[in-house]
Amino acid sequence: MSMRLGPRVGEVIDRDEPLSFTWNGRTYPGYAGDTIASALAACGVRVFSRSFKYHRPRGLLTASHLDPGCMVQVDDEPNVRGAHRRVRPGMDVRSQDTWPTLSFDVKAANELARRMLPAGFYYKTFMSPGWLWPAYERVLERFAHGGVVGPGKVSALDGNERYDKRHAHPDVLVAGGGPAGMAAAVTAARSGCSVMLVEEELELGGHLRWGDDVDLTALSELRGRVAATPGIEVLTDAVVLGRYDGNEISVLQRGLPHVAERLVKARARTLVAAPGLIERPYVFAGNDVPGVMLSTAVRRLVNLHAVKPGDRAVVLTANADGDATALDLERAGVEVTRVDARRGGDVTRALGRGRVRAVELGDGRRVECDLLVTATGWTSAVSLLTMAGDQPRYDDTAARFRPDASRLPSDVMATGGVVGDGSCAQLVAHGEATGREAARRSAQSSVTASAAPPPLPVEPHPALFRGRTHGMVDFSEDVSSKDLFTAVEEGFRCPELAKRYTTATMGPAQGKLESVNVVAIIAEATGAAIAETGTTTWRPPYAPVSLGALAGRLREPTRLSPLASWHHSHGAAPLVAGAWIRPDHYGDPVAEAASVRDGVGIIDVTPIGKIDLRGPDVSRLLNLVYVNKWSKLEVGRVRYGVMCGEDGVVIDDGVTGRLAEDRYLMSTTSSGAVTVWEWLESWLQTERPQWRVHATPVTTSYASINVAGPRSRDLLARVVDDVDVAPEAFPYMHVRTGRLAGVPGCVVWRIGFTGELSFELHVPAGYGLHVWERLLEAGRDLGVRPFGVEAQRILRLEKGHLIVGQDTDATTKAYGAALDGLVKLDKDDFVGRPELSWGGQPGDGQRLVGLRMSPDSLVPAEGSQLLDHRGLICGRVTSSRLSPALGRAVCLAQVEAALAEPGRQVTVRLVDGGTARAAVTEQLAQVDPEGVRLRA
Amino acid sequence: MAEAYSALALLRHGVTGRSWTPMWRERPLERGYPVVIIGGGVHGLATAYYLAANHGVTNVAVLDKGYLGGGGSGRNTAILRSNYLTVEGVRFYDRSLELYRGMASALNFNVMFSRRGHLTLAHSDTSLRTMRWRAEVNKASGVDSEVIGPDEVKRLVPEMDTSATARYPVLGALHHPPGGIVRHDAVVWGYARAADRLGVHLHQHTEVTGIEVSGGRVTGVRTNRGPIATPVVLNATAGWASTVSDMAGVPLPVQTFPLQAAVTEPVKPFLRTVVVSGTLHVYVSQTARGELVFGASVDPFASYSTRGSLEFTEGLAGHVLQLMPSLAKLRLLRQWAGLCDMTPDFAPVMGATDVAGFFLDVGWGTYGFKAGPVAGEAMAECIATGQTPEIISAFGLDRFAQGRLVGEKGAAAVGH
Repeated sequence: MSMRLGPRVGEVIDRDEPLSFTWNGRTYPGYAGDTIASALAACGVRVFSRSFKYHRPRGLLTASHLDPGCMVQVDDEPNVRGAHRRVRPGMDVRSQDTWPTLSFDVKAANELARRMLPAGFYYKTFMSPGWLWPAYERVLERFAHGGVVGPGKVSALDGNERYDKRHAHPDVLVAGGGPAGMAAAVTAARSGCSVMLVEEELELGGHLRWGDDVDLTALSELRGRVAATPGIEVLTDAVVLGRYDGNEISVLQRGLPHVAERLVKARARTLVAAPGLIERPYVFAGNDVPGVMLSTAVRRLVNLHAVKPGDRAVVLTANADGDATALDLERAGVEVTRVDARRGGDVTRALGRGRVRAVELGDGRRVECDLLVTATGWTSAVSLLTMAGDQPRYDDTAARFRPDASRLPSDVMATGGVVGDGSCAQLVAHGEATGREAARRSAQSSVTASAAPPPLPVEPHPALFRGRTHGMVDFSEDVSSKDLFTAVEEGFRCPELAKRYTTATMGPAQGKLESVNVVAIIAEATGAAIAETGTTTWRPPYAPVSLGALAGRLREPTRLSPLASWHHSHGAAPLVAGAWIRPDHYGDPVAEAASVRDGVGIIDVTPIGKIDLRGPDVSRLLNLVYVNKWSKLEVGRVRYGVMCGEDGVVIDDGVTGRLAEDRYLMSTTSSGAVTVWEWLESWLQTERPQWRVHATPVTTSYASINVAGPRSRDLLARVVDDVDVAPEAFPYMHVRTGRLAGVPGCVVWRIGFTGELSFELHVPAGYGLHVWERLLEAGRDLGVRPFGVEAQRILRLEKGHLIVGQDTDATTKAYGAALDGLVKLDKDDFVGRPELSWGGQPGDGQRLVGLRMSPDSLVPAEGSQLLDHRGLICGRVTSSRLSPALGRAVCLAQVEAALAEPGRQVTVRLVDGGTARAAVTEQLAQVDPEGVRLRA
Repeated sequence: MAEAYSALALLRHGVTGRSWTPMWRERPLERGYPVVIIGGGVHGLATAYYLAANHGVTNVAVLDKGYLGGGGSGRNTAILRSNYLTVEGVRFYDRSLELYRGMASALNFNVMFSRRGHLTLAHSDTSLRTMRWRAEVNKASGVDSEVIGPDEVKRLVPEMDTSATARYPVLGALHHPPGGIVRHDAVVWGYARAADRLGVHLHQHTEVTGIEVSGGRVTGVRTNRGPIATPVVLNATAGWASTVSDMAGVPLPVQTFPLQAAVTEPVKPFLRTVVVSGTLHVYVSQTARGELVFGASVDPFASYSTRGSLEFTEGLAGHVLQLMPSLAKLRLLRQWAGLCDMTPDFAPVMGATDVAGFFLDVGWGTYGFKAGPVAGEAMAECIATGQTPEIISAFGLDRFAQGRLVGEKGAAAVGH
């Protein structure tokens, strides 16, 4: 049954471009320019969805992006606004949450129990027996209302589609492309501003698009002016999502070729909000039956899409738009019965289920019809203005909330229907004045005086919210005015509470259609005035926005060392370590460790944090941030240091070397590279601004390579050009700068995290791979091999070297990390000193110890708990490995101070629930505790 | 007196059309109360309820400057768990979880506690180690937690990208089956209704403007509706804890940070489990209504703003899609922020103060909601008996002066 009308003057469909798509598996025709809803309506479809709670059939209400009755699944995309989305050839459109079919939905049985299922019924039942609740829960979950995402519906984008983002800096951003918005944009642009004009609908024009010939003439004239004015960028099918501090305005742009959606982040000098009015539904019994529509919905269908919405209509009108709708319908051949609300006419009930059959009027008459149109008032679309600080006030004359504007910051203005009423000419004049003023405010040099636009008139309108019967208030949530009355009766007198209790305005429309009705009905139920009942906070986003658009193409950056390609091509197993991906091993970590113990190995330690420190006050800074002393560090020496927070907790460790009189290189843990630099800067900038220190993060400026093992000196000697590596010339804990493998500007320090003789090379990053390959080549006869993080962890654990963050935690103070000897309380001051000098009694807290397991080959999982003789937790294993050098487990553990003496026995609770014994060792180091190998 | 709720009562009301009695009453503000509780959120209401129910102290006033549950109680993401890092933390939150489990029948109000299981993802060997640590502490304390591998994660959350090539691959997770979610408003209303039935006075839109202290003792509070004489005041506020405490001359080591959250449009249920990723600063659950609820870590700077930011939603969406790429077309519906009072050691401040009669139940940071019942129970005992219950003894304000910080910082920082 085709409901398609003959050509209309303002129609947006292209009759030369027919197409077809499927709806619930059946093929339907349409034209390019149709929305999903208009194409289906033209084919006589009247039911598009089922309601949330009672699964009542729902049809079109607003025939716009706000329509709660036409949320559909399109291919793999849930909750598509079918009355906004343009239909495309081959689209697979389905109704959501209906079973087995849209026309026969078993959950509609809920309606039979409607009286037992008032708002919030679930808070009052399903409580006993308690064990049945999970089963009830599963049933309730089946009523979750919406489309489908998930593995069955992989939301992969088409091959040529992606999400992206754009930053824009228009002088003036106009939100809303109706007559006032277009006029404001044109005037602002003619004043020399760059203007971004954003319209949520598919074309510019606002309500003029579905108006009469006069409106259409004005529309084409305004569109012509927009097109002819340079400096205006028009974004249609784009919605302003929110206004944030600093006039940051987020805009979601849709319908672009090759881009699924685009998030435009605009910093506008001035925002002009011209969002217009939203037609407000009228509350009465049966107001959600398919065929009950707002006047704007009818005019959109008839005049934009050439769809006849019914054959016999009743039009309840309280304003000129309602009157015009009746005329439009008559011209389209629809038989119309007018009911004038301005003269006391009213509708008390719409009868029917799948479609309207008849209407009961306030005077008791009953009129047979298949379409009921209401034109009972408007809601100002104030949400963008409230995000900027406006507090709308209820206007008794206009019977709607209107913006106050006095609280708006100077960079936000409003124009058009949201401000007041008026003819098209008046709206355009107001828009022009606003555009002019916006241009003045946006200009850097203001020459003209402020000229506030003249106020728009406010025309009287009857206050029509609810009729004599109860009906639907929130269509997406199935909340009726009766539910709101019940909520008020139950004590939820505050609108915020009543909304939370009934879930009114919580649905996908977010209250844009219904929030004023909610407030009015709560006011009615509490006996208070609407003005004092208040409205609610509007939070961004104004319109729902896909996660894809918000995320854009941003991905987490990955830091790769200059040697990454080599690691990759040599079979390195990747280890994600914060921002870095590092080689965990190259196939055999135990053999890698053995090669370091017996010969020589090299490891890429580029992620180690490196901070270049220069200036005369560096040693004062080091004394402040490290717990140990730095004043006497000579040029050419390096020292190990530990940093604590102000609470005395260990936050980082590393070595710092003095390269020249006023030049130092600090190293930090890999994970601490950024935080330590920020830490230094915060002390330098806020606490010691008088100190002359430059701290420059140079982590990625160098490739860092550790050469470790008894043969490391031999290897290094083959690649150095001008550094003497002989033991006397280059002792332990010294630093040299010079040329390596022909590369100048290298820093070499002799330290030993692995417990073996070792040199750490910091090579200008671009030459990292060259030096690495040179080392491998030069050391071939020495059996040099690369080793990864795992081998390094084995080696350092055998040596008892702690890792901050693994062997310590967020509460471990310096003493707890077995660093007592390092803390120099006799220093003037250092970060953490008050806490360490005060709370550092040895009897307190936990200590870091070594553990000897029994049986000694048992390796407890890191994190295994230690139990005391009472079976209470007294510590945990922080690190554990099977030592290749010793053939037994080596462990570090945090244990209560009282149990931290060598020889003390504790119980280790294993992951599987079993236990084992362990004894505290003499030292942390199990291999070479004297450090002979290090100093070789 | 409110009637009992049941399926039968629903049926009766449905058939007769009789209206329900209010869940709580609006009462005149009296000139004096033996106990005044500032803050009508879950903590204040729970304390009032347990004072009346467990200790017979019924003449209690709960004051709130807005509406019941309008602060943190209505802004949190309603995740419940007890898989903490310290023995004390585990015990404390396990008691809270127990109270939540029995709440529907205790209060005759279905708070819809949903035992979902709680997954804390590990994206690095470091976090995997922390998960193991927590699991071992939990198991030793009798709490059900275990470290599971990526395959098991995939089985629980089929949408999860557990591929090894993910930027932050899922190496495993701490699985805590008793964790779940609850309807946060219902908890507030359930306590409010139960407290009202026992005689507690609930005063909404009653803002405390001053606290009277004389001779080191609390003597009353001033409000926008007039003064109230009282010897006992409990500060159970969040966001304004330090402001209210200052009124009694008790400064708090608290900084207030916004914590943002967001919710999507509903889709059919597909996510049974609560999913947390500390590395990606995100937690996700799906409500019975089908909405996904997202939370994150607190904003990086102190503020009293409850307005959300665009950057938050952008980062959040990116992180969610890293975990579950198939959600790209799901739409974010609403964002908001709540205020979190952060203490230096990420543990609350509870108990008596140097001002006699002035009690604190504040500093709850990002984990106040899940502790509401146990905090109310303990504070009620503290106020009624004058003795600090053992379960909250570690949380006294004097710990900051004595250097006895609580060791939960490690776990609290992991996310919720």
